Amino acid sequence: MKNHMINAFQEPACQHNQAQSGQQGCAPAKPGQSNGGCAFDGAQITLLPIADAAHLVHGPLACGGNSWERRGSLSSGSSLYRYGLTTDLSEQDIIFGGDDKLVKSINEIIQRFQPPAIFVYATCVTALIGVDLDAICHQASKRHAIPIIPVNSPGFSGSKNSGNRLAGQALIDYVIGTEDPPFQTPFDLNFIGEYNIAGEMWDIEDLLKQLGIRLLSRITGDSHFKEVQWAHRAKVNMVVCGRALINVARHMEDKYEIPYFEGSFYGAKQTSYSLRKIARLFGDQRLIDNVAVFTANEEKKIEQALKEARKVLKGKRALLYTGGVKSWSVISALQELGMEVVGVGISKSSQEDIVRIKDLVGEDALLIDSRGARVVLETFKKKQGDILIAGGRNIYVALKERIPFLEINQERDHAYAGYTGFRQMARHLVTALQHPVWKLAKLDPPWKE
Amino acid sequence: MDNSTNLKDHNTLFQEERYVKQAENKQQFEMPCSSEEIEKMEAYLKTDDYKAVNFNREAAAINPNKACQPLGAVLAGLGFEGTLPYVHGSQGCVAYFRSHFARHFKEPVPAVSSSMTEDGAVFGGMRNLIEGLENCQALYKPKMIAISTTCMAEVIGDDLGAFIENAKKEKVVASDFPLPYANTPSFVGSHNEGYDNMMRAILSHLSEKDNGLSYKEPSEAINIILGYDTYTGNFAEIKHILNTMNVAYTILGDHSENLNSPATGQYKYFYGGTKLVAVQQSPSAKGTILLQKYSTRKTAKYIEEKWEQPVVTTCPPIGIKATDQFVEQISDLTGVEVPQSLIAERGQVVDAYTDSQAYLHGKRVALSGDPDLLLGLISFCLEVGMEPVHIVCTNGNKNFQVEAEELLQSSPYGAESTVYVGKDLWHLRSLLLTEPVDFAIGNTNMKYATKDAGIPLVRIGFPIFDRHHMHRYPIIGYQGALNVLTTVVNTILQALDEHAPDYSFDAVR
Repeated sequence: MKNHMINAFQEPACQHNQAQSGQQGCAPAKPGQSNGGCAFDGAQITLLPIADAAHLVHGPLACGGNSWERRGSLSSGSSLYRYGLTTDLSEQDIIFGGDDKLVKSINEIIQRFQPPAIFVYATCVTALIGVDLDAICHQASKRHAIPIIPVNSPGFSGSKNSGNRLAGQALIDYVIGTEDPPFQTPFDLNFIGEYNIAGEMWDIEDLLKQLGIRLLSRITGDSHFKEVQWAHRAKVNMVVCGRALINVARHMEDKYEIPYFEGSFYGAKQTSYSLRKIARLFGDQRLIDNVAVFTANEEKKIEQALKEARKVLKGKRALLYTGGVKSWSVISALQELGMEVVGVGISKSSQEDIVRIKDLVGEDALLIDSRGARVVLETFKKKQGDILIAGGRNIYVALKERIPFLEINQERDHAYAGYTGFRQMARHLVTALQHPVWKLAKLDPPWKE
Repeated sequence: MDNSTNLKDHNTLFQEERYVKQAENKQQFEMPCSSEEIEKMEAYLKTDDYKAVNFNREAAAINPNKACQPLGAVLAGLGFEGTLPYVHGSQGCVAYFRSHFARHFKEPVPAVSSSMTEDGAVFGGMRNLIEGLENCQALYKPKMIAISTTCMAEVIGDDLGAFIENAKKEKVVASDFPLPYANTPSFVGSHNEGYDNMMRAILSHLSEKDNGLSYKEPSEAINIILGYDTYTGNFAEIKHILNTMNVAYTILGDHSENLNSPATGQYKYFYGGTKLVAVQQSPSAKGTILLQKYSTRKTAKYIEEKWEQPVVTTCPPIGIKATDQFVEQISDLTGVEVPQSLIAERGQVVDAYTDSQAYLHGKRVALSGDPDLLLGLISFCLEVGMEPVHIVCTNGNKNFQVEAEELLQSSPYGAESTVYVGKDLWHLRSLLLTEPVDFAIGNTNMKYATKDAGIPLVRIGFPIFDRHHMHRYPIIGYQGALNVLTTVVNTILQALDEHAPDYSFDAVR
């Protein structure tokens, strides 16, 4: 495991690993406050969307059980990823090692589901009792003649972000480059770090199709195992979710000379920019021209469609509390709608994200570098915000304070990416702000003095 | 607003032709099976052959229906005034617990972690625990911190008692600040045991002093413990019954205020719960009634032995018979007569039963959930003439199985029942497909199995993530009986309407 950790956190393309910051990897969580998910959680976020693979959690029941069926990643094919598979280690197993149970579980899963691959996740318990996941998976893999992949990302090894990266390392070590696609096209593209939350990738895939670009591998939203195996045959990589899987992109650049860029599909501007950047990296003049016409056209259309929403949203003050790529790309989308971003949570953002955030929001907005609802709410009040845009664990705090809220993380039901998604986002912002319940909530009962 | 087209979400958008085609196009890369192969496999899954294979499964758990100890410990902590649940170990566990409760209760849940990392694994978690205690007092200003553990702290063998002593020595916490703690490894038991361990720890921590009890004045009140109960409405119903009977009482572990707080415009971390001083006085009460057995085993034993008072343990009073029994127990313990108004209330619910009985009679039901809840639900099913056919309890033990079977055998409606302990929802799925039932009762986790079987799911239990506000209504007491009855009978009537041919689509049911 040590090796994986070292590889993942010596990633030169991540500024958190650079010498001057004096640290390696993501900052550890502070004891005694409400912290986010763990490295195991992060690894699952990254790998679980590979829908036809079996995902087996080697540990006590609840690591799998507490998170089972709670991801917003949608699949158009297999639903095997939705099964909560676990070795359900008990006290006896922990005393005697639990290896036998893992081997048996793998056998049973193959017998029943015949998956193309199994991802086996380490947990705090199996890492601490010294289960040799690599060896067991290696032997099982040989026996069953399918890839059985150890994911060495136990919860205590760090935060969600570090788990994302360790999962990326597993893809590099065991999956990418192990198969070839049935055919190739001149415009084969990969998405890296896109998880198809609420199906938003399908919207983007539709745009790409209209431009004649093929999405060769989705890493990993709505993917099947094989397409990740042949990802190395793409001509261009786009890193969609921030820095988490930057190691995968850089590895593919080093080894297969696939150029990559980081982009986003939140907001019309970012969407157009990303599409144009993809075309430029393919380096085909006709494609570049086509994309230019296409994006100009789409922007014209959306300009018209957003007119009414802009009237409502203009000058409204938003506070954004999310992580990774969303912390800057959503800002740009909000600004496009005429909104003012008065505060941004940066506790889960990378150094690169923060630079971008500062570029976008200027001097007046507050950057909130602490976790927990209290600080966010204080900032909101101080800055006289109109709407809070954040994830599921903060929503109920905001609602207690009668603050209009837009859910932006993985639990949402709505796709916000691309041109269509942007319209959806605008509409939901308007609805959130104008909903009659806010007036009602602020109304004092008639008998109050 | 953007009304030029009807914007859709993923529930409807991706059923449009272009997206359906896009998905179909992808199939060619996914090693597709022919539709015959799929049909064949689906047919096989409905056979007894596959059921036998499935029940021979030894190692892998597929969709298990339980949660872990510290989750229960967090809920126990939330039942007390100004109490911050603190989980010692790696950070991710608490993030899961907060999400879990937030999604079920639709409420924010304060709970913190000592966020141990690899260093902690090597050197032990004392520094993390102490630093965490310091930080969380500054942030949350709690009156009590209820400390439980994750697997990590348990596997490396952290000594909580010694760490807490050291925290006090270092003056990170005041020497009289209450810091009850319990060991709650996830690899033993389930959230029920975690609740039990934490509850016992809190009660003993607050009531004892120098090995004796801190408070000696006798009291006329009785104590009530609801157990791992995720219905805030249940607390209201219990209070209603006790107030109607004019009985003085203390609910030990009342998390209903913390998990059902008003939107006032000002969020507070703590909204209520059992007063800490009330716990000190509880040992001198007339007795304690515990409304769950399997989630309060050690707590009940503690009260009996240490507080030396009568202890009555019962399964949750779901349905009329069980509520009658509960009311009788209160009456026996306090000598208070059951008032006329409660008898009238009971009569109304009996009347409701008789109105609906024809639709309930002989209905075959599958149940899954916590042991205590299942005992309550079985009792309800039997008294309304429904047949609980499959009962799957992932976190049930042999004792539960024997007790449930005895209860079932007490009625002809239980004659065809089988109780499965330690089985998961993939076992349940086999059962639903090989021996079909009319509907199932249980939590949200069961929606996939019931969908595959094409039967309705009446949502009762924990967690319920996909329906709103159900936890606000009681399922125990007479009002609870009425609620359960209403939900069940209306689910049956809805199914009847959905499947009715035109000539049977009646306006009156």
